[in-house]
Amino acid sequence: MTLVERVERLAGMAEEPFSSAMTDLVGEMSNAILADPETKVVPQYVALAYWMRAAAVKRLAKDFLASIPDDEVLAPRGVALHLPPTNVDTIFVYSWALSALAGNANLVRLPATLSPQAQSLLRVVSDTLAEAGQAERHLFCTYEYGGEIEREICRRVDLRIIWGGDAKVESVSQIPIRPDGLTIGFPDRQSMTLISAQAYDSADDGACDDLATRLFNDAYWFDQMGCSSPRLLVWLGDDRECRDDLYVRLEQVIRQKNYSADPAVGMAKLGLANDFLAEAVATSAQRYSNELQVAEVEEPQAALLRTTGGGFFGDVHVESLDEVRNFVGRKVQTITHFGFGRNELVKLARSIAGVGGYRIVPVGEALQFETTWDGVPLLSHMTRRIVVRA
Amino acid sequence: MIPQLEEALAVPPYSLEPGARELLLIGGLGELTQMHYERCLPYRRIIDGYWKGRTGFNRLDDIPYLPVSIFKTQLMQSVANSEVKLTLTSSGTTSQAVSRVPLDAESSSIQQRALASSLRHVLGCERLPMLVIDTEEVFKNPKLMSARGAGVLGLMRYGRSHSFALSPTLEPDIETIKRFLHQLEGRPFFMFGFTFLVWTSFYEKLRDKGLDLSAGVLIHSGGWKKMAERAVGNAEFRAALEEAFGVKRIHNFYGMVEQIGSIFLEGPDGLLYPPNFADVIIRDPRSLEPLPNGSTGLVQLLSLLPHSYPGHSILTEDLGVVESESDGVDGWAGKGIRIEGRLPRSELRGCSDVIGMAA
Repeated sequence: MTLVERVERLAGMAEEPFSSAMTDLVGEMSNAILADPETKVVPQYVALAYWMRAAAVKRLAKDFLASIPDDEVLAPRGVALHLPPTNVDTIFVYSWALSALAGNANLVRLPATLSPQAQSLLRVVSDTLAEAGQAERHLFCTYEYGGEIEREICRRVDLRIIWGGDAKVESVSQIPIRPDGLTIGFPDRQSMTLISAQAYDSADDGACDDLATRLFNDAYWFDQMGCSSPRLLVWLGDDRECRDDLYVRLEQVIRQKNYSADPAVGMAKLGLANDFLAEAVATSAQRYSNELQVAEVEEPQAALLRTTGGGFFGDVHVESLDEVRNFVGRKVQTITHFGFGRNELVKLARSIAGVGGYRIVPVGEALQFETTWDGVPLLSHMTRRIVVRA
Repeated sequence: MIPQLEEALAVPPYSLEPGARELLLIGGLGELTQMHYERCLPYRRIIDGYWKGRTGFNRLDDIPYLPVSIFKTQLMQSVANSEVKLTLTSSGTTSQAVSRVPLDAESSSIQQRALASSLRHVLGCERLPMLVIDTEEVFKNPKLMSARGAGVLGLMRYGRSHSFALSPTLEPDIETIKRFLHQLEGRPFFMFGFTFLVWTSFYEKLRDKGLDLSAGVLIHSGGWKKMAERAVGNAEFRAALEEAFGVKRIHNFYGMVEQIGSIFLEGPDGLLYPPNFADVIIRDPRSLEPLPNGSTGLVQLLSLLPHSYPGHSILTEDLGVVESESDGVDGWAGKGIRIEGRLPRSELRGCSDVIGMAA
């Protein structure tokens, strides 16, 4: 059977959202990821499994169902096509899992080449689906962009979710899906971290080390190339000692975790630091190691636009939270924070509301998957409603 | 021209022993660092922001360096626009970006003088008849007037009565070659070509034609990447050319447009020697700390030539090793270097993958 024929067959396979069979399956997949010797050692996959665990899925279902008005009945959209990014190799599971819970039949298009790590995750996912007899309803495959196959697939699709940047969203969106279908695109985003120098200064050693570890996880998983990976550190208050202290601790975490960047990436970071200096985007730059390069920037907007990944941070200080608005643009996604209270954060959210920003979450949660992504409540978009009045 | 360069050019080109060379270079490179600091704003920002503003040094390995990529991303220029006589460009094979190297009249004459001095070491003082192992099209056709055309043109200055050994389709022009050799009647001559062309268009096609090139000096350059694909190293290259044509005097050279005029010539031991006014430091690719002789690392190039742009100390992405360091054997003093190719490229990919790449 060809891929297009298999997609054709998906059309009748959507089911009621949050069926117990599906919530059980997602929970089983979580167990399988934590049991498999290859996947259970990858921190990103452990985080994924944690998010998918039975109790979490049940709560997710309960909360979402509670938000549905009494005179509306929830229905799946039908056939969902997921186009995950090539670099963040857990998105394909998050995107699939939400859509599967929403009752959709799914087609996940994977890159032609997967890292050995991603292959192990895919194996656990496929095995779990096969054991549950769900392999026909959830296809994980690859096909070429821009060809007849893509057109044939797209015209049978009710929901298309495009992860992976401006160019990809734009070019994929040109292929029509079903006339009543819905496309959601997640384009280029950049993220930053906001730290209160005063809070850092009064934090004890343990808290500072903990912050460095959480910053490491946010930045270095996915080599700092995720949309949510922080690339700019914004300090409220000018305290050079705090800044250097945090980078020294971060450098220690990098050593502990044995993170290593390719020397060519190190050279790219050195090159970017020199470019920033030459262009007066930065006033000073320091190379802590091949894995950590920091540039003290004067033009945070410019610094947000360019990165090499692999441990390159722009560093800037502001005197008041109101200044943050000046360099939050449309492309800014996640602002992770340390040392702020809820009221300050809500005030910040209001001040940037008209310009950009989609999440303001504690340092350490940058990569945590949310059901509201880039401002889009995913479950609402992955389902439809039937209005019922007696 | 800074006095240290005058001093280096006043003695035979590859003659300065390590101690004297280091002293000369520390003084000269310090002076150039200070000069470019005053005249090139982006350079000053880098020195202030990355090197704490220091422009005086006691050790060669303390001298600030620029990553070679900066000549592609920024215009680094230490003279007024009106002084720029020509801007050299070179495109790397792996990147679309082009290096830009602005030369004023003085720098242009400095680099020619320095190159002439280096070449005289192997060619002698008299200009020799020259067989260019390339096609005349290479600089007549603007499409080819790239690094290769500029390279050929640059070297032609050091020969006379030029003949071109290859046709526009890069086939050997055997009639021209024979006519060139016939007119010489055994007198010495000079050959220049890019390593890969010398091998594929000249050696491979002519090796059984019984040509006698034993009176010639062959200078070639252009890297070994394509040759490595054919499993031909420097030793194989030398042996094959000697066996086929009897040519014994073969000199590879290493240099880059970012330090135009500064060429490391191959000595009789097959190693590359920096001229008196230049040197290398090998650095660990991760820590960027200097490495002892015998260890492979990133090649930092030092040269007293760049006066119109801050290219006197460049951290390249080439890997190399210092195999020997001596006061001089057969007129070749200083460090003997082997280049081992480029740092393997690796680019981290973001969410914003381009479709073509994502396939």
